[in-house]
Amino acid sequence: MSTPRASRVAIGLEGVRKRFGSITAVRQVTLEIREGEFFSMLGPSGCGKTTTLRLMAGFEEPDEGRILLRGVDVTGVPPNRREVNMVFQHYALFPHMSVFENVAFGLKLRRVARQEIRQRVMEMLEVVRLEGTERRRPGQLSGGQQQRVALARALVNRPTALLLDEPLGALDVKLRKEMQLELKRIQLELGTTFVYVTHDQEEALAMSDRIAIMNNGDVEQIGSGREVYERPATTFVAGFVGLLNELDVRVDEVQGDIAVMRTGDDERVVVSADDARPGDRLRIAVRPERICIEERSAPHTAHGSRLGGVIARVAYLGTFTQFHVDTSIGIRVTSHRLNDERTDMLSAGDQVFLCWGRDDAFILGGAGSSGGDVA
Amino acid sequence: MTDVAISRRGLRVLKACFGLLLLFLYAPILIMAVFSFNDSITVTFPLSGFTLRWYREFLSNGELMVALRASAIVAATSSAIAVALGISAAVALVRKRFFGKGAVSGLLLAPLVIPYLILGISLLILFNAAAIPLSILTIATGHVVISVPYTVLVLVPRLERVSVSLEEAARDLGASGPRTFRSVTFPLILPAVISAFLVAFTLSFDEVVVASFLAGDQVTFPVYLYSQLRFPTRLPQVIALAVAVMAVSGFVVIGAEIGRRIADRRLATQLASAGTPETRGIP
Amino acid sequence: MAVEAGADLKVTSGSRHMRMRRRLATLGLLSPSLVYMGIFFLLPVGLVVAYSLGALTLFPGDRYLSLESWGYVFGRSLYMDLFWKSVRMSLTVSVLVVTFGYPVAYYLAMGARKRKYVLLIVLIAPFLTSYLLRVLAWKVILGGNGVINSLLYSTGVRDPGDPISWLIYSQFAVILVLVYVWIPFVALPIFASLDNLDRSLLEAATDLGASRWKTFWKITFPLSIPGVIAAFIFVFIPTIGDYVTPALVGGTRGYMYGNAISDLFLGAFDWQTGSALAIFLLIVVATLIAIFGRFLNVRTVTIE
Repeated sequence: MSTPRASRVAIGLEGVRKRFGSITAVRQVTLEIREGEFFSMLGPSGCGKTTTLRLMAGFEEPDEGRILLRGVDVTGVPPNRREVNMVFQHYALFPHMSVFENVAFGLKLRRVARQEIRQRVMEMLEVVRLEGTERRRPGQLSGGQQQRVALARALVNRPTALLLDEPLGALDVKLRKEMQLELKRIQLELGTTFVYVTHDQEEALAMSDRIAIMNNGDVEQIGSGREVYERPATTFVAGFVGLLNELDVRVDEVQGDIAVMRTGDDERVVVSADDARPGDRLRIAVRPERICIEERSAPHTAHGSRLGGVIARVAYLGTFTQFHVDTSIGIRVTSHRLNDERTDMLSAGDQVFLCWGRDDAFILGGAGSSGGDVA
Repeated sequence: MTDVAISRRGLRVLKACFGLLLLFLYAPILIMAVFSFNDSITVTFPLSGFTLRWYREFLSNGELMVALRASAIVAATSSAIAVALGISAAVALVRKRFFGKGAVSGLLLAPLVIPYLILGISLLILFNAAAIPLSILTIATGHVVISVPYTVLVLVPRLERVSVSLEEAARDLGASGPRTFRSVTFPLILPAVISAFLVAFTLSFDEVVVASFLAGDQVTFPVYLYSQLRFPTRLPQVIALAVAVMAVSGFVVIGAEIGRRIADRRLATQLASAGTPETRGIP
Repeated sequence: MAVEAGADLKVTSGSRHMRMRRRLATLGLLSPSLVYMGIFFLLPVGLVVAYSLGALTLFPGDRYLSLESWGYVFGRSLYMDLFWKSVRMSLTVSVLVVTFGYPVAYYLAMGARKRKYVLLIVLIAPFLTSYLLRVLAWKVILGGNGVINSLLYSTGVRDPGDPISWLIYSQFAVILVLVYVWIPFVALPIFASLDNLDRSLLEAATDLGASRWKTFWKITFPLSIPGVIAAFIFVFIPTIGDYVTPALVGGTRGYMYGNAISDLFLGAFDWQTGSALAIFLLIVVATLIAIFGRFLNVRTVTIE
């Protein structure tokens, strides 16, 4: 059913701006969502992601800019005449209609023949695995089932794109994980373009082909999960997606394209830097899972970074253990280690070395002026 | 926002409907106000000059003043009793679990949907059968029956908004049941108690049907008014009185509403700062 | 809940004592209102039933244990005709009031935005002022020498002494005044049902392709029906039992069922027939409540 049409654009936003009174909800957003992709908009509450979604649906009109559906300008077209459908945050199922009537609602309005409505609704209920519930009322279904009805009701219309507004927010953690997989399965099965709004970075990473990170009405970065996680374009993206250790350091020495900071005997921080010069202040970031912990007695290894410290706190988190280490440069660094015999041995007060590879660290933009807590 | 409920033209039409309805509702009152200052014994056009005579006259009408006083007594007594009954019933309905809750609330709210005429004659028969002479006290007795449902309806939602955990905290800190009610629950529902009293008071002050059946020699203000209206001899005076009463009750209503708003907002902030479950976020 | 479950687990003599005390406290809270309503509401209604059957008599002329008064109710076409006439009038009033009230409540709930509660108060305020005085206003306006007629005389449209006859002391006058009196009130339950409506349902319908008109008829209206029914019942019941308005502006043409009852009690002193008529009315009302009771979310009647 899904022919790869990666080149075609399902939804395009061109310089879209939206203001509510004195508050600018969306400023100058330009983005293209490709046909068939799972596209997420991720950001804290109030970042403009929901407004952007509602602009696509037509519930809000942009103050400036254009919205294109499959290349056609739909700015000003009311929501009932746009070929996109939405899954609402609290599902918005019609309480006075059965599951079947809910799902058939859009088709009936399009005056699809009765026989076809019946067939398509049943097919779609099968896709979302709700066979046999068509006579029930939404109030008689569990949260997860209601979620599936909402999906079916939107997808049965074969929209250009399916817009989902934090659809899993009301579910408990376990069900949420299950539904993430379900959503992805359905999306692959039908090949429909999904535009997914969430504030949960894990959710976005788990499902998306591409993620747009939004902050303050701006898109900070668009990229695959790996890109935004490993090569965040801005400090905000780096901080919002995943946990991050930030180190403000001064370059002591440059070896080729590697900047080196000596922080003590046997201790140093290295990072790839194209045009750093000795004396520059840099803000360096390292993900906790990239930092390994060695006992003090361990031999000096490799060319990576190595930083001494004392374990301040140990938190056991199931699959891994979180270590908070007060380093010799005065910054508390967090390290995540998968649990094994070695992690079991470490406890608060232990003297340790933290180490990470050259490519595990990256430089955050715009740190030159603000750094300074490192002597 | 693209309004999914009303189009721009629809909004204009509905606004016009609303305006027309307000005109329909307020025009008669305005006409009354105009004629209350009209210097003529008949209420007819053309108008014949400004006067305050009718206001002076009703103020010096002894019979009327006595009726007003009787109404005030009836209203104050009946609403005090109704509020007391309402509070204890509301606390039981909201805080306690017991068998037959539906039936109890049904009984307490039933007078709301029973025509007052039936309540009036049934109490008339009761007092006659028990050989209790009719007086303003029998009227007050009847007005309590009418007012109880309203006090329950005003108090229950407010009580529901006061989190049980506040009372549990007080109990936990050593307060007895009555003490908890006095120093935690009651202060928090006080605004509702006041508005329940006001609702019951206005209800009783304006009630004519039950009062007509249960009045002895001393009639209340609405009963007096009713007799004046059936056989109008002093119409301009009654109109002036009507305008005065409407103005006063208008102020009371608006004042009570503003007060309730302020109190509600205060409760909301109090509850928010107390961190009751409904406002507490996910940890 | 968890606390109570825990308390239930340790069934000791102490906890049984506690439960006893809790029950006594509940009883103490409930008994004042229940006793009061029992004596001054349930008992009197029972007495009316007894009186209509002659099981209770108060006057020398009363018929002891007799169905005669019930015979009058159903046998004399007078009362049944009057009953059906009153039903027709009350139905007319309820339908008119709901028809006019709905768009206004819709405007307040959907279109008035931030001002909606202020406007609601403006709409309700007349309802909270004296019932009698509002009826008086119309008596003054509609009267033979009232505002409308005297205006027509003074402008020369009609000759003095030739008032429009149907303006007052007619069914028209009763219906007009009852509509006037009850319109602000119906707005409340309808407003409440529309205001509680989840806006995202309307957005969902629009999103699925429904126009505003379709959205209204397929989503908004069906979901507001409980409010409409509540409004209807809350107007129908008091109007069919009303005798004040018809007595003031209805004359003989606007005479209603309630007038018959009040006249039997206050004028003709045939309390037995009056009781039978009242009980018949009560049965009708109770039947309506039994059928439509689940729609009567009485809370919507208080301004909340």
